[in-house]
Amino acid sequence: MRKERIILKVCLSVGLMVAAYSCIEPEPLTEDSYNEWLSGGSQTIFDNGAGAFSTIFPTLITARESVHEIGDIAFEQTFVTVPSPVNPGLGPIFNNVSCTSCHINDGRGKPPVGNEQITSLLVRLSIPGTDPHGGPNPVPGFGGQLQQRTVFGSVAEAQVKITYQEQSHQFADGTTYNLRTPAYTLENPYIPLPADVMYSPRIAPPVFGLGLLEGVAESDILAHADPDDRDDDGISGRPNYAWNVVEGKKTLGRFGWKAANPSILQQSAAAYNEDIGITSFIFSNESSHNQSQYDGFDDEYEVSDSILSSVAFYIRTLAVPGRRNADNAIVLAGKQLFTEAKCAACHVPRLQTSTNVAFPEISNQIIFPYTDMLVHDMGDGLADNRPDFDADGKEWRTSPLWGIGLTKIVNGHQNFLHDGRARTLTEAIMWHDGEAAQSKEFVRNLSTADRDALIKFLESL
Amino acid sequence: MTMKTNYLNMLFISAVLLSFGGCDDDNEGGSSVNETLNAQVINDFSSTLPQTVYSDLASKTSTLYDQVLALEAGDATNAELEAARTTWKQAREAWEQSEAFLFGPVSTDNIDPRIDTWPVNFTDLEAQLASPAAFTEEYINDLEDALKGFHPIEYLIFGENGDKAAADITDREIEYLKGLALNLKTLTADLKVSWTPTASGNYHTAFTTAGEGSSVYPTQQSALEELVNAMIGICDEVANGKIDEVFVAQDPTLEESPFAQNSMKDFTNNIKGVKNVYLGKYAADAKGLEDLVKEFNLQLDSNVKLKLDAAIAALGTVTQPFGEAIISQPIQVQNAVDAINDLKQILEDELLPFVREHSK
Repeated sequence: MRKERIILKVCLSVGLMVAAYSCIEPEPLTEDSYNEWLSGGSQTIFDNGAGAFSTIFPTLITARESVHEIGDIAFEQTFVTVPSPVNPGLGPIFNNVSCTSCHINDGRGKPPVGNEQITSLLVRLSIPGTDPHGGPNPVPGFGGQLQQRTVFGSVAEAQVKITYQEQSHQFADGTTYNLRTPAYTLENPYIPLPADVMYSPRIAPPVFGLGLLEGVAESDILAHADPDDRDDDGISGRPNYAWNVVEGKKTLGRFGWKAANPSILQQSAAAYNEDIGITSFIFSNESSHNQSQYDGFDDEYEVSDSILSSVAFYIRTLAVPGRRNADNAIVLAGKQLFTEAKCAACHVPRLQTSTNVAFPEISNQIIFPYTDMLVHDMGDGLADNRPDFDADGKEWRTSPLWGIGLTKIVNGHQNFLHDGRARTLTEAIMWHDGEAAQSKEFVRNLSTADRDALIKFLESL
Repeated sequence: MTMKTNYLNMLFISAVLLSFGGCDDDNEGGSSVNETLNAQVINDFSSTLPQTVYSDLASKTSTLYDQVLALEAGDATNAELEAARTTWKQAREAWEQSEAFLFGPVSTDNIDPRIDTWPVNFTDLEAQLASPAAFTEEYINDLEDALKGFHPIEYLIFGENGDKAAADITDREIEYLKGLALNLKTLTADLKVSWTPTASGNYHTAFTTAGEGSSVYPTQQSALEELVNAMIGICDEVANGKIDEVFVAQDPTLEESPFAQNSMKDFTNNIKGVKNVYLGKYAADAKGLEDLVKEFNLQLDSNVKLKLDAAIAALGTVTQPFGEAIISQPIQVQNAVDAINDLKQILEDELLPFVREHSK
């Protein structure tokens, strides 16, 4: 774009905004709530379609945009069996073949329907005790994650079978709703699984906006923590300190369903390693290491340092979709209910990223992710009963809610929670328990119109 | 897939919207939005493009399956093989044109990776052929994506250098091909059904009831934006992924469709698909974005068409197979990348804001 056009546009924009402000009435938007339209601060974008989670930060300079593009291409690469001129190194055991095949459209996975293959759900495994770093204790012969797919000639560790049991429940006004409780069976293990094996199914989460969440200061996250519930509101909120491979010590966990991963870089490297069977400088051993099917191909890193860093940068620089209809009267009523139900006690609407001169795009932004980045007891119904560093078997990290209303258009479904058992936002709410029991009861007692308003609010995020 | 939003334009458009939204009394039923035409564009898109293009695709893959079924090891003729290759290219043409609207079930039901994954897993493919496995419908369906779909079929019927003779096709290859062709036929038939108005849960209904109760598209605007963003998405993919990745690396082994030497046609069909969406035209010429733009901004309509034609023409100047052209025709390849990026830019900077302004 030519310079004069830029200047013209800026002038016009400023002029129009001034004109706008001169006739805007103060209701219903206050200065604060106006910012809420920009969920990702200055890294907010306005694509409400299938590409809503796949859009680059709007303010990246060209050189950094190129790194994002390199990461984008790598994110989509399908790995194949060695030897191959292109993308060798798959497996020998794996969950999927590329980043994007689980994180479709950079969005949310779902459990299989009917006889579909499992594509975007995996199962973590451990036995009682901890590993040398305080993390889950790997299962001999299986490691910390079940790989149910293989290259030709290898045997899957086991097959995951999911069955559901439906139960009918009632809201206070008599309206019924259904919840389905999943049961997981690990069939045909290639060697017997120990009797005391613990497992935790996990859906692929959306990957946009994570750079901003990584940019929130640890102290700001800890400010929301109340591990001993000293304010006596029934809500604790604990940080999960997890092993940071690069730093060689435990640091604040931020990512994954139990916040057991401290950085986007490590999260990406772990996914390459455990999910695809690709080694890197962070995880240099094959996921099959020490297992009978180990193929011995970990003599050189299968993804280079620069590609791994580019993928991490790609994820860091995926922008956040702005809100829709945030000033709609029903949405505003739903927002009020969200606060009254104390949903906002954990799904903290507003966070601020710290100042970061090395990464100006994420520096000092007011963002609206609706999470406190802490882990909470969510009750027995959702419990995986598998500790993951400091998070116990009932604790889950508060999931960010930004963009949640676009799940349907981006991913074609509305399966929520760690294993995708919820089929609507309402079901997801009604699964809440433990620290969120009172909030759930609040919602159970709402009128149909109020429940609809609450959902409309969530859909506007 | 990444789409770059021009921040400045966003600011400008937000300001425009804000300036209207602020004094909402002035803008009641503003004449800049033609809801009837918008509804027609949305409806015609479904019938003219996904319904028809996927129907073509399904019909070609069905023919391909019949042709593969007729191949007999030892008795297959070069003419039979050539017929299968021609049909493969025709199916490919429909598929690549459909990539201009890669949203909805093709993406959310995981159909795209199951029919068009690249690279082929040659190591496992050879192992499959050497194994005693029975290539039943179920067995093929359970295979990894890199072992099925267009590209393994391409490899088996064209051969590594594109010159496979019918006499060289083995018994095992034919068995495998039959399984692959049936799987491709089934998946593309599913894709066709996914937009068929009478099928349950079809996406035609979700798309065409935009703003009128659609569970996916709350407004007409969101459906129209989906179209433009899909057009932008494939331009980005072709210019900055499919072409650029191979071109920058100067590495022909990265080429996606090398055996049939079909890559340049694939790229061209992708951009033709963008043109189809803009015009609302495929087998029939219905109302498209073109008609919406023409009503309010003839200059923009003319500019978009110039860029579309320039991109298709630039791709046409690459006369060598893509794998060779990255080295022998670098200027032509670069020109094609630039022309597609030009097209992408006008779609991003002008068409998308236009659609936002003239819809709600």
